Amino acid sequence: MDILRVENVSKSFGGNKVIDGLSFAVPENSVFGFLGQNGAGKTTTMKMALGLLKPDGGEMYICGEQVSCGQTNTNRHIGYLPDVPEFYPYMRPKEYLRLCGEITGLSNDIIKSRGAELLALVGLEGVNKKIGGFSRGMKQRLGIAQALLNEPKLLICDEPTSALDPIGRKEILDILQQVKGKTTVVFSTHILSDVERICDRIAVISKGRLVLSGTIQELKARHRADGLTVEFASPGDLDRFMGDPHVAPYTEGAAQNGLGVTLHVNDMAAAQTAVIETLAQGRILPLKLEVMEPTIESLFLEVTK
Amino acid sequence: MRAYAAFCNKEFMESVRTYKLFIMGAVFLLLGMMSPLLARFTPAILEAVAGEMPEMVIIIPEPSAYDSWLQFFSNIGQMGLLALVIVFSGLTAGEIGKGTVINMLTKGLSRGTVIFSKLSAAAAIWTVCYLLSILAAFAYTAYFWGAHETHHVFLSFFSMWLYGILLIAFVIFGGILTASIYGSMLLTGGVVVVMMLINILPGARPYNPITLSGENALLLTAQRTVSDFAPALIVCAALILLLTAGSVAVFNKKQL
Repeated sequence: MDILRVENVSKSFGGNKVIDGLSFAVPENSVFGFLGQNGAGKTTTMKMALGLLKPDGGEMYICGEQVSCGQTNTNRHIGYLPDVPEFYPYMRPKEYLRLCGEITGLSNDIIKSRGAELLALVGLEGVNKKIGGFSRGMKQRLGIAQALLNEPKLLICDEPTSALDPIGRKEILDILQQVKGKTTVVFSTHILSDVERICDRIAVISKGRLVLSGTIQELKARHRADGLTVEFASPGDLDRFMGDPHVAPYTEGAAQNGLGVTLHVNDMAAAQTAVIETLAQGRILPLKLEVMEPTIESLFLEVTK
Repeated sequence: MRAYAAFCNKEFMESVRTYKLFIMGAVFLLLGMMSPLLARFTPAILEAVAGEMPEMVIIIPEPSAYDSWLQFFSNIGQMGLLALVIVFSGLTAGEIGKGTVINMLTKGLSRGTVIFSKLSAAAAIWTVCYLLSILAAFAYTAYFWGAHETHHVFLSFFSMWLYGILLIAFVIFGGILTASIYGSMLLTGGVVVVMMLINILPGARPYNPITLSGENALLLTAQRTVSDFAPALIVCAALILLLTAGSVAVFNKKQL
């Protein structure tokens, strides 16, 4: 079943069209990376799913129930971590979680046990100072704890790692990895290495439109390797290689980078054979010969161009 | 219901931990004590001043318990209500502006509950502080003047209370509408100015809620009757209901 379904949603602010006919679905138990540049419409989409913003057109469904702006029925399935979570600064973490639990309608026993469990999960057990004195990383971790309190079917995290230092980022990703399997995670970001670490599906939006979506394996397979990089020990080797008529069909549009060259080819097997033959016949010994795997970064750059 | 109780509880915790309750309590206790003292000692102070200037003759009638209550209602109606509006100006504006309420809403708290619990909590704090000032004023007035005749005691005090609730309802509405503390204060201040202007028209006067904070002392001394206050009370109550319903409706439509 699809936990979140977005159907042909549009949204403008003033005359500025931020989301333009966006459709995608998030299947159950996936970690869904929601990618896009700053201002691409990620936060807007998430806020519409939470009923905080009203779409101009189209529909959204959470667990099959339609989201309606201003009403919070569908929110009982969701845990939300905003990009910069704001808490009541005069409260202590346990008090904040109790408030959240009472609002969601959890029993006192459950609030107590799950609250303690979650504070341990996010590494805030025993922290009893007021939230006003928390660092940004601590707030982000408390944000995850409050988002998971009602055991949501869907956890929506808006750029949970963007503002954190490398250690804080790793901690947040580790926590998300731990909840993987128990709950579906939708997580927006523009940090591509985070996506490769924990996501199994991604959707990329650009200028309010979906430009790429699927599982990471699918996408990598679909954008099969088309680059072959050869690195030489000297400029002379490079020149001899490039001047060889055997590789001439492949050198058009090749990108030279120092002593290396990347050939863009359609038939990888044929190109590899030609290159290796050329190198062997010319007795050119390369430092490196590499078939370029497509990275999320190259896909991202390609589709958001 | 549980969510309502939880959110009210949060409001009380907030007013204690951000010292709002203490500020309000101190201001109202002070106003309650000050009013009888001012009424009692103003003639003495003026006499002392006049004594230095023999050419000035000031004739002041002997102060009475009535002067004490006149002072009380004028102090609460001006300084007290000003403090009330300032202390609660961030009630809804602050939460929307900072975004703290978003987390609560995404937890399934309904927007109506936010409004109702904020109104209830602010009303409760206003009630307690106002009672405190009444008790202080009563104690000092009785001490200086002994037992004194009063009329329509409940209605005199209740009118001011209801007017205070109206101001809270305006503060909440302004906060929801503009999401800014200044917007909230500006709306409330603007409405008070408009009510003052309306008061110039003699025909509109009995219906003007501002009467409820201006003529209480006259009611207490039976210079006004219940029927003089009734129309303004009804208008005030209707406005409170309307503003609260309006706040919920606007908040429900509000994009956050």
